[in-house]
Amino acid sequence: MKDFKYLIVGASAAGMAAAHTIRQCDHEGSIGIFTDEIDPPYFRPLIPFLISGKKKVSDMFMDGTGPYVEKDIAINFGKQVTDLNINEKQIELSDCASVSWDKILLATGSRPFMPRNIEGLNTPGVFALRRLSDARQMAKMVEQSKHAIMLGGGILNLKTAFALLEKGMKVTLIVYSPEVLSQLMEPEDALLIRKALDEAGLKIITGVNATAIHSEKGKVKGILLDNGVDLPCQMVCVGKGVKPNVDCFENSQLNLNAGIVTDIYTACNVPNVYSAGDVAVTFDPVTGRSMKTALWTNAVEMGRCAGKNMAGIKTAYSGTLGILNATQVANVPFVSMGTVHTDQTDFQVFRHRTDKSYRKLVFRSDGNQLLGAVFVGNIQNAGLYRYVIREKVNVHHIKKYIINHRLHYGHFGMNSK
Amino acid sequence: MQEQKEIFVKIDRCVGCRSCTIACAVAHSESNSLFGAISEKPMPKSRVYVEWVPPDRKVPLVCRNCDEAPCMSACICGAISRNEQGIPITDRDKCIGCWTCVMVCPYGVIGRHQETHKAYRCDRCPDRDIPACVEACPTKAMVYETVEAYSESMRKHASIEISRSDKG
Repeated sequence: MKDFKYLIVGASAAGMAAAHTIRQCDHEGSIGIFTDEIDPPYFRPLIPFLISGKKKVSDMFMDGTGPYVEKDIAINFGKQVTDLNINEKQIELSDCASVSWDKILLATGSRPFMPRNIEGLNTPGVFALRRLSDARQMAKMVEQSKHAIMLGGGILNLKTAFALLEKGMKVTLIVYSPEVLSQLMEPEDALLIRKALDEAGLKIITGVNATAIHSEKGKVKGILLDNGVDLPCQMVCVGKGVKPNVDCFENSQLNLNAGIVTDIYTACNVPNVYSAGDVAVTFDPVTGRSMKTALWTNAVEMGRCAGKNMAGIKTAYSGTLGILNATQVANVPFVSMGTVHTDQTDFQVFRHRTDKSYRKLVFRSDGNQLLGAVFVGNIQNAGLYRYVIREKVNVHHIKKYIINHRLHYGHFGMNSK
Repeated sequence: MQEQKEIFVKIDRCVGCRSCTIACAVAHSESNSLFGAISEKPMPKSRVYVEWVPPDRKVPLVCRNCDEAPCMSACICGAISRNEQGIPITDRDKCIGCWTCVMVCPYGVIGRHQETHKAYRCDRCPDRDIPACVEACPTKAMVYETVEAYSESMRKHASIEISRSDKG
């Protein structure tokens, strides 16, 4: 008899989604979750709100909300998995205990990518916001800081920057790319957002990188940029993307490719082992390319799929678009999905700009398939465009509605001739 | 759960009068009256939409109460949960207005309230026996029934049509 019928490593989006899905399908099989975090499972995307004070920790817990309403799921906190023994079907923990399983889900997630070419990243006062514990420390640091430097122009850093602005701090964003949000759109697409960020009081410097962080008496004192400029600051926040937590699987028989390679049923290359979330390598249904995603929404979807497969309901994962983001910064909502970087390849691209909104629709070069979309300002019905991209709909008969941002569900019932 | 009623739409009956949208907005206003609703701030919103498909078809759209609701799984803050009747409800206090639900809803029936920065959607009018939109529809294009009762009525309707055409 194994310790758990279902063992899950990781208690965030993918792990919790899988656990609750398994419990929906199998009311009896034991489910054990192991996490190295000490907090009950929480909505990670909310942690910037702890810094701004807009939410309390107790408002962030997953249990009892949304799809996370099942019971009888045992979570073991503060347990770091050090090894995976596939032949013996057990995991080894940092406290030397081993736990056996019938089926296992590896949902170890990812951690912040820390660039090697910046000196002094381990100075107290340098943060990479990933966990609730990071947010708590950062919230404390805010009290004794005036100026924060954010390295990287992605969504996490923008959200965190606004949390700090709301606390009355001066915030400077250092972006190596020509414009903010470069992973999600091209510089031209980001103009409205950039304008709103500037007007909101966020200082943004593009095209430069940091080279060193100075400290004094063990505290951050300033940052040196590669253009020679030296900026005094008391806090640095690194937001340069994430890398998957695969270290403890390096010596296993798992097929790794900078992440855990999964098949269309979220299964790994060895029986009874599954993976989902940031750590898993999956695929883009439109381009067919293998890919990793670091997105809550995708992790939940993949975790639910893995949960079904583990409980014996064979379910194909539909994959995920490489880019799939919605949010609102500085009162400007935006959505970016699918293929949106169009400068290198031959696409059919339609852009429309007003002083309050912008959209870009990217079609295959023959114009019959929608590959990507960026909506800024007005994101109405974005889900329909996602459906059209993901299902590779022949857009011939609805193209004018797509280009004019007038698509609605009624159009899907139209005669396609 | 088998008693749960759903909103069904008979597209061929809709004349596009939008009585449903007005009734919905009024039902979700503070004053609960048309005259009160039009002057309220923030403006009450309709959660039902009537779209037009050329040349002359009108399509009322409302939250479909999906079994595997993509909005509920996608929500990054736990704001969307099922109520006791199994209807996915957006909790306004929890919603942070990130619009992830809008990005994943394949029906386009989740609205964005820009003044309050919150998502809103059909809640099936929990305080009413019949949802306001259904009650307001003058052509009975919207029907509130259990799946069983509705499919039975459709079968009866079809059999009457068939028997009529046999006689003809």
